[in-house]
Amino acid sequence: MGDPLFSNGVGLAVWIIVVVKVLLAFGFLMVSVMLMIWFERKVISDMQNRIGPNRAGPFGILQTLADGIKLFFKEDLMPDKADRFVFKLAPYLTVLPAFLIFTLVPVGGVVTIAHHVVELQVADPPMGILLLLALSSVAVYGTMLAGWSSGSKYPLLGSVRASAQMISYEAAMGLSVAAVILESHSLSTRAIVAAQAPHFWDWGVFRTGVVPFLVFFVAVTAELNRPPFDLTEGEQELVGGFHTEYSSIRFALFFLAEFMNAITMSAIMVTLFFGGPDGPGFHFVRWLWPILWFLGKTLVFLYGYVWIRAALPRLRYDQLMDLGWKRLIPLSLGWLLVIAATSINAVWGFSVLGGGIVAAGVLYQSLRVSSRRREALAMEGGLGRAGRLASHQVQLRSVPDGPGAPVVTGGGTSEGGGS
Amino acid sequence: MGSLDSYIPIFLLIVLGIAFAGLSFVGSRLLAPQRPTAAKEAPYECGIVPTHEPSSRFPVRFYLVAMIFIIFDIEVIFLFPWAVVFRQLHTFGLVEVLVFAAAVFVSFVYLISNGALDWGPIKRIRPVATADEVRTTASTVRRHGSPGASGEAA
Repeated sequence: MGDPLFSNGVGLAVWIIVVVKVLLAFGFLMVSVMLMIWFERKVISDMQNRIGPNRAGPFGILQTLADGIKLFFKEDLMPDKADRFVFKLAPYLTVLPAFLIFTLVPVGGVVTIAHHVVELQVADPPMGILLLLALSSVAVYGTMLAGWSSGSKYPLLGSVRASAQMISYEAAMGLSVAAVILESHSLSTRAIVAAQAPHFWDWGVFRTGVVPFLVFFVAVTAELNRPPFDLTEGEQELVGGFHTEYSSIRFALFFLAEFMNAITMSAIMVTLFFGGPDGPGFHFVRWLWPILWFLGKTLVFLYGYVWIRAALPRLRYDQLMDLGWKRLIPLSLGWLLVIAATSINAVWGFSVLGGGIVAAGVLYQSLRVSSRRREALAMEGGLGRAGRLASHQVQLRSVPDGPGAPVVTGGGTSEGGGS
Repeated sequence: MGSLDSYIPIFLLIVLGIAFAGLSFVGSRLLAPQRPTAAKEAPYECGIVPTHEPSSRFPVRFYLVAMIFIIFDIEVIFLFPWAVVFRQLHTFGLVEVLVFAAAVFVSFVYLISNGALDWGPIKRIRPVATADEVRTTASTVRRHGSPGASGEAA
């Protein structure tokens, strides 16, 4: 139970190993973010028939470094209406969780250094998954406070949208992780990876029946505010979203956190559903192969993110909320119960599945009730001033047998009364 | 040793992260110019001079979502310890969580059918302004060759 490194007390050697691990993780994160930004720009420009960055370094690989250095030399502006303390605090709150989530990811197997068993991951607390959920919730604060403290309209709107979106997908994400916990019986990430060995059909994605993985993937994409869920920084509506007022190094920190989160969440997805560092190895340099497998799998997801960004258009806000609340949450909850029941026996499995189908029927009915309720409100003139005015006019001008039948017009986004 | 030992690397990384962010602020302070003007410090408005304060009121839906989120987040947190010990609890655990999930599901259905999770503007009726009995198609449409077509009805 727990990290074997600390089982014999914390001596000098343990401290050195811990410090080296932390520094390695930090360096790995910084370099991988640098490469990730370059990779994303290069792949996207390839998909759009452009060349992309090609000046700084071979194939433009140092472009991110050049941009980062440039941002150091830019003036750091603060709007005079900003809440100064919170405005300075928000970038920290965004960057720190991004660093910390990566500590939970098992990068490789186990090596022995100076009689100490060292797990190739920064930390292996027994509550790993709870820490993951906690940190991804803390990230909401950074976004929310950044927008709120700017004292400006676009950041405020962007941050309110962002926090509603992030907490909406949090529940679906937690439910799909619970399905993995059900199979591994542990909250420690190392134990979760161990439960997915030795064959690839033991991976979480197959043992939980693919659906939790799909829900988790969609929920994480929404948590990260990546396309097609990037409504928080929809350029056409909100300029830059919550970081519109940020410039110089503070903006760089937000940008860093965004891409670091994409990397760490891909790594978490590999850990939970794709066996982490699990994969066939060879007899020479045994410790290296799991790391290569881990990096390869993570790279597949990173490419997937870039591909999705290039392929899919942005969602509308009500579609986003409907997808999160009305589809993903019931789906992942029902799937979790079905998995639990089938692990007891088939009779329970089929009866819970039947119950789930009945529940889906009830849910469908409640969705219809809700849409009929909206139609009834529309007939009464909606909730807003414009709507009441319209119904007033209908009352005044309608004649018993005249052709003045009311016509329901589609819910145009710009002229709506309610919400 | 204490069970908190396995959190040592996390605390170290917190320190390192804060140090990194702090040092980059210091670096930026040393390297970047500081020439603020009124225009630079004004809130961003796409070039227009701002006339209104940003609103301090939001659509109540956002608060509603935050409240409903608490229900589901607590449900999820309950499910984690249950999932860890599910193998020991066996059938008892399943029945228990089915009852729990049913209770949550009923409240979920209630929320949806009440419209608590609906977004976007409500569709509204646009009145059709044809209710005037004097002006009908017979009185307003002039037909070629009919009486009055030569100009008096204009």
